[in-house]
Amino acid sequence: MKDDVILSVKDLVIKFNLRGRILTAIREVSLDIFRGESLAIVGESGSGKSVLVKSFIGLLDENGWIDSGKIIYKGTDISQYKSEQDWLKIRGREIAMVFQEPMTSLNPLKTIGSQIKETVILHSRLRSKAAKRKSIELLEDVGISQAEKRFTQYPHEFSGGMRQRVVIAIAIACNPSILICDEPTTALDVTIQAQILDLLKYLKVKYNLTIIFITHDLGVVANIADRVAVMYAGDIVEIGKSEEIFYNSQHPYTWALLSSLPQFAEKGKFLYSIDGMPTNLFNDIEGDAFAPRNKNALKIDYVIRPPYFSISPTHKARTWLLDKRAPKVHPPNSIKELHKNWRGNH
Amino acid sequence: MKKESLLEVKNIKVEFGTNRKNKIVAVDGVSFKILKGESFGLVGESGSGKSTIGRAIIRIYDLADGVILYKGQRISGKISKSLDIDITKKIQMIFQDPIASLNERAKIGYIVSEGLYNTKYYISDEDRKEKVIKALLDVGLFPEFASRFPHEFSGGQRQRIGIARALIMEPELVIADEPVSALDVSVRAQVLNLLLELQDKLGLTYLFISHDLSVVRYITDRVAVIYKGKILELAKTEELFEKPLHPYTRALLSAIPVPDPRREKNKKIEIYNPSCHDYSIDKAEWVEVGSGHFVLANKKEIKEYRRILFS
Ligand SMILES: Nc1ncnc2c1ncn2[C@@H]1O[C@H](COP(=O)(O)OP(=O)(O)OP(=O)(O)O)[C@@H](O)[C@H]1O
Ligand SMILES: [Mg+2]
Repeated sequence: MKDDVILSVKDLVIKFNLRGRILTAIREVSLDIFRGESLAIVGESGSGKSVLVKSFIGLLDENGWIDSGKIIYKGTDISQYKSEQDWLKIRGREIAMVFQEPMTSLNPLKTIGSQIKETVILHSRLRSKAAKRKSIELLEDVGISQAEKRFTQYPHEFSGGMRQRVVIAIAIACNPSILICDEPTTALDVTIQAQILDLLKYLKVKYNLTIIFITHDLGVVANIADRVAVMYAGDIVEIGKSEEIFYNSQHPYTWALLSSLPQFAEKGKFLYSIDGMPTNLFNDIEGDAFAPRNKNALKIDYVIRPPYFSISPTHKARTWLLDKRAPKVHPPNSIKELHKNWRGNH
Repeated sequence: MKKESLLEVKNIKVEFGTNRKNKIVAVDGVSFKILKGESFGLVGESGSGKSTIGRAIIRIYDLADGVILYKGQRISGKISKSLDIDITKKIQMIFQDPIASLNERAKIGYIVSEGLYNTKYYISDEDRKEKVIKALLDVGLFPEFASRFPHEFSGGQRQRIGIARALIMEPELVIADEPVSALDVSVRAQVLNLLLELQDKLGLTYLFISHDLSVVRYITDRVAVIYKGKILELAKTEELFEKPLHPYTRALLSAIPVPDPRREKNKKIEIYNPSCHDYSIDKAEWVEVGSGHFVLANKKEIKEYRRILFS
């Protein structure tokens, strides 16, 4: 099992300097990503999802840095990379990324074809003609019909869903091992979103990809993820197989996140919502960062940061509630139905 | 007792483009009523015409055909100045992107008062300030925020400011166009709760425009499904989700991702193919197939839909 780890993050700390004040965006995160899996990262806005994955390809903003920890990719600690030259060995070739808004990742002044071809030529030794052939193949692969004709068209001649397909084609053009998708379907309609998710699943098999998927839509997570990592205030507070997170979650933040979905609310009744403000990342955090917003917080939550407690070999959560001395606290009623699924099958 | 209708949209058509060649019909023959105190949903994909309908109601766009009535009185086309001001107050709109819709250089106090300035709907500056404080408190913000700038607020707070801006006019009908689409799950829950709370407290009527079907299911009483400028189906929200009739509605609902991995991984998505209808002889009409359940269909389809509905 161990040698199946393709990327391993160890005690990673990432900081930003904002006009002289230091913000800690990632707080000692450790994470193993397995070859061929699709891992979803969820959590509220500002919890560090994008910062974490951007650090894998050297795309942190200028005012940010890896303060300590390691990112081991296929045996090399890439967190030590300093130069753009180093990162170009990884970015695109080994780890590629797809962002939410396809329009910003495409150049409106160049044809779709020339943009794909450029990437193909940059990363392979193919000549122009062969590169064109390869580009058209890629367009066909991402489900664009009449690829030959589409090759000569401009981004504005494509619908949102089609543009996202093109962006995906460019991302896989150099046969990366890992594909990171940061909210790739958020701007799309549900029917188009379903098609893009199917496309990603098809490409994952065909190109042997490992997928890291960031989204706010827990329905999308249920669709695509083998495993789910839940982030809160720069930390992974719970991680496990998709079914473990949906049907047997243990961290109060995961409970709160699932409970705030309208799908689990009763019509006419108020939705569950998390009290208080997101944790201020400029401050030092003592204990469990979620404690001030957790009705069931224990005294120790304000003092000592909880360690991970294992629920199964594949499932762990950072909450003192799992300590054997802790009082028994049940998940909120609204997600009881989900948890029934778990008991019913195990 | 039948609830009275507040807004009535009758057979409206909205066109864009000046000459015949590049004319686009964005909304075509759309009719619906919104009852006083209810939440009426308008769902459809991007470009389907949902927002255009909202904008036609608040008179940003002209109608090429049809009429819009508010409390029985025509508010589309040429109307008197006094009615125009009255309508501007009573029908308010909340937009999707709280960031883009706020003027970054104006203080919150000004932003929230803008509608008051435009309609001169205040007696004195004292009165205006009082109204601002009340509106801010109504949406759960501190009165002190009036002297701060938009960039100092989070996404959820900005959407609250957008709501305060509408509320200060003491509207009766609020058109919310994708009001929570830019927000994350937890903030979305807070804003939806706020909308429900305000409806209870102030007796508001909502026209809720969204492509997020799970939110629409939760918040609306009745819902209309729009596709390429036409309404295809309209029903009580629960009935529409339980018994969707039109193949487009069925396709749309089947594509909603469900936050439950086993159900989501085993679900079957239906695909809508517009050529599945044969309207060459037997033409489609807008008919009530069950109580309050309308669908665009021909005679053959109606028979089939009735069978599904009453089985
Ligand atoms: N360039 C920067 N300078 C200062 N702070 C930053 C910078 N980039 C990110 N941050 C901060 O790091 C934290 C994590 O941000 P990140 O973008 O990773 O959140 P996220 O989980 O991706 O949120 P969202 O769901 O909104 O995309 C936030 O507090 C953010 O404000
Ligand atoms: Mg992000």
